[in-house]
Amino acid sequence: MSKEHYTKRCKDLTEGDKRMKQLVTLNINGEEHQLAISPDATLLKVLRDELGLLGTKRGCDTSACGCCTVHLDGKAVYACVVYAMSVQGSEVTTIEGIGSNGNLDPLQDAFIQAGAVQCGFCTSGIIMAAKQLLDDEPNPDEEQIRHGIAGNLCRCTGYAKIVDAIKLAANN
Amino acid sequence: MTVAEIIGQSVLRPDAHDKVTGGKGYPVNVSLPGMLHAKLLRSPYPHARIIGIDTSEAEKLPGVKAVLTAKDVPQRPFSPVFFCPTEAKSLVRDMVILSNRVRFAGQPVAAVAATSEAIATQALELIDVDYEELPTVFDPEEAMQESAPQLHESSPNNVAKNPSFAFGDVEAGFAEADHIFEGVYQTQRVHTCYMEPRVCVIDCDTQGHFTVHCSMQHIFGLREKLAYALEIPESRITVIKPPYIGGGFGGKLDIGYIEPIAAILSETTGKPVRIEQSRYEDFITTARHPIKVYLKTGVKNDGTITAREAKSILDTGAHATHGAEVIMVHGLFGVVFPYKCENKKWEGFTVYTNNMIGGGYRGYGCPQGCFAVESQIDEICEELKLDPIEFRRKNAYQKGDPHPFNPAWTLNSYGYEEAMDKGAERIGWSQRAAAGSSPGTKKRGIGLGTQGIWVSGCMGFPDIYEHTGAIVKMNSDGTADLASGTVDLGSGQNTVLCQIVAAELGLEADQVRMSYADTDTVPFDAPTHASRATYSSGLAVQAAAAEAKKRLLEIAADVMEANPDDLEVSGGQVAVKGSPNTTMPVADIVKVAESPFIVDTEHGPAPSSPPQHKGTIIGTSSLAPPENPTPATALFVEVEVDTETGQVDVLRCVYAHDLGKVINPNAAEGQVEGGMQQGIGYALMEDLLFDTETGACLTSDFLDYKMPTAVEMPRQIESIFIETNEPSGPFGAKSLSEQCVTVPAAAIAAAVYNAIGVRITELPITPEKILRALGTL
Repeated sequence: MSKEHYTKRCKDLTEGDKRMKQLVTLNINGEEHQLAISPDATLLKVLRDELGLLGTKRGCDTSACGCCTVHLDGKAVYACVVYAMSVQGSEVTTIEGIGSNGNLDPLQDAFIQAGAVQCGFCTSGIIMAAKQLLDDEPNPDEEQIRHGIAGNLCRCTGYAKIVDAIKLAANN
Repeated sequence: MTVAEIIGQSVLRPDAHDKVTGGKGYPVNVSLPGMLHAKLLRSPYPHARIIGIDTSEAEKLPGVKAVLTAKDVPQRPFSPVFFCPTEAKSLVRDMVILSNRVRFAGQPVAAVAATSEAIATQALELIDVDYEELPTVFDPEEAMQESAPQLHESSPNNVAKNPSFAFGDVEAGFAEADHIFEGVYQTQRVHTCYMEPRVCVIDCDTQGHFTVHCSMQHIFGLREKLAYALEIPESRITVIKPPYIGGGFGGKLDIGYIEPIAAILSETTGKPVRIEQSRYEDFITTARHPIKVYLKTGVKNDGTITAREAKSILDTGAHATHGAEVIMVHGLFGVVFPYKCENKKWEGFTVYTNNMIGGGYRGYGCPQGCFAVESQIDEICEELKLDPIEFRRKNAYQKGDPHPFNPAWTLNSYGYEEAMDKGAERIGWSQRAAAGSSPGTKKRGIGLGTQGIWVSGCMGFPDIYEHTGAIVKMNSDGTADLASGTVDLGSGQNTVLCQIVAAELGLEADQVRMSYADTDTVPFDAPTHASRATYSSGLAVQAAAAEAKKRLLEIAADVMEANPDDLEVSGGQVAVKGSPNTTMPVADIVKVAESPFIVDTEHGPAPSSPPQHKGTIIGTSSLAPPENPTPATALFVEVEVDTETGQVDVLRCVYAHDLGKVINPNAAEGQVEGGMQQGIGYALMEDLLFDTETGACLTSDFLDYKMPTAVEMPRQIESIFIETNEPSGPFGAKSLSEQCVTVPAAAIAAAVYNAIGVRITELPITPEKILRALGTL
């Protein structure tokens, strides 16, 4: 790096953060949260660092592993590539927001019963992807299931018992 | 509940409920008040000397609390490998925490702790480093030339380690052979791809004691290696065992740069410091080493192996790390041991290059050896028109043979041939067509790969820890808490160990809970690695449970006015043998032990039971297993090769394992199915690539580093478990995990050959390689 370039970069960086935080209202799992967030904060970062919703995981931060899958107005998205600012007015659902009246969602229960959980780091994201699949197609065949979770990586299970669990949830 | 109602049952995982609702127990979730965030500045050059480094502008940035460079950290060279003593002869100590000499692109050269990740990242930009670039070498065989750039002065020709083994008379063995086969087999660098990134939170208190939270496979190794690198006594470090971690697979068996750096930053600032690696940083932190195997085998017309000679060249990258150990395990278990043959010779080279460092990964050198050995056997059988199963049978070990690793041990349980026979029947091996005879453009083939000798832990290895311990403590409600240093990587160690304790103690499976542990409170434990948890940790928890049970029955005998030898405990009830109606709940016995000596009754104060009954019912153990029984494995796969696109699809797998005894069938199947995912990735697509001029990682995220999704995985993965009842194991069990990833590449390569009549000897078997081999590219 040239001295001139270096000096300029130092100046740019040390002049302070020009991206002032902004006040936003986000609807997460049916509750409204007022937050001051930086415009470049991702939904993943806000969920984990601001709201303490640690069920949504960061596996790559480059929209490739699926660990951070959440629902945005009922559609599965990668929270690591969604700006939190952009989801105002939308409903965000995370793994903490599924199931009802203290009961597990049928998918969560099926993952336990089928032994579809090993290290569990991908589990939240895969359940959210599978939930959209079952919302769209309550009786998916095996190929639809496999394509429905193809955006989510798992290194432990070979996906076999995950596919079993989704079949089990669809049948219940 | 009897033993048979617990052992061999698919008991549900106790951690599953938490994990399906979000999962709290991961180290990545640890957050402490006042915590700082640190980031590392990494070198863009693969080989360089730092001639100047200016951190003054970074230090001025508001929010920056500390900046470290080489001058601020201890310079004691260390090996990061967890499972050997720090000063073990077999290790090579060639790393320092931060150095002014860079040997791979991405090596950290400075670190910043700040009040937020964003500020720490900004501060890195303000550090000005002057590098003097040095000549590079990326190919290990080039690195072995005298003219090559030298990475470490203590290792001429860049050879960090050069072990060799010889048995019998190889020249005589080759003279005896009717045929001699020679081949070169090359494997690539792949990543374990644990989903939870490597992360640590380290808090140094005002008296200089460090508390460490970290996503690692070994709490005691982390303590020991961290203490050594920091040049402080171990007793100044407490490592907390995480309830679970997001995968390991061998990729979390060493300190990286982040742990010593976080510790020093915490000591400097007086605040807890957290470092979480990005996926790019994870990709250049650990990998399975590429190994090139030159393999020569002599065989008689009937298929008897008369001699085997091999040379293996392992690219260990910038530092020796695990490469110092992987080469030995690869040579012995991957190349030398698997088949009976009196005349064998092997030489290995662990070679420095300017590539990234390697690490541990399931199989630890064995998959690379298995690919070479099994691929060549397939060639031999094809050439000599021998059935691959009969060839292996002829050269296989038998139950009752001395163990090739240690002749003082006997193969007391050995289901190698049974695994082949049962798998063959299931897949329809006898219907297998001749190589290349499949019609059309989409050609199908069936292949076999086996691994006849592997480990259940590290008993017998020089310089490698193997003892382990446990504490079993009974509660007044009749349940038991198990504390052990064994980390659950995800494969269900907690579930299986709790099942073993429940079976031994006579409790229901869900009455035993894996509780808190750290390096201060539980006995030493070797890492969760080397397929050892079920066997070695299983023996330790069983021994601790047996001790607790002995005490339980001593008290019960007094209370029930019986002889302890006449009592048994099952389903949470203590019963007199032969009188099933004379029972007492375990909880009541524990209450006797835990109650006050004097209790206030309706008749006034009275002794509840004699003083000798009082005291928590507890059992402890710290022991090494008696031996190292081998599992045995045979994998049959069916593939379809599209000869127009070069695409290989794995359609069906039949994977047969002799694992002694299945403790939890669902968990065992999970190991096999997950192992196939890693094995198929290794065989067909995964490859950590680096620019050959700049050394930059080209596959630094999952968009470029491809691993199998649910779509690429076979629709049928069938597990066959052969229960040979290992006499030295807990309830007959031995090991499973690593065998599940060792064999797939060899079996898939054989199936590809069977489909198209062309053999690929360099992994991964990409469409390009298939089309080139078919002559259409």
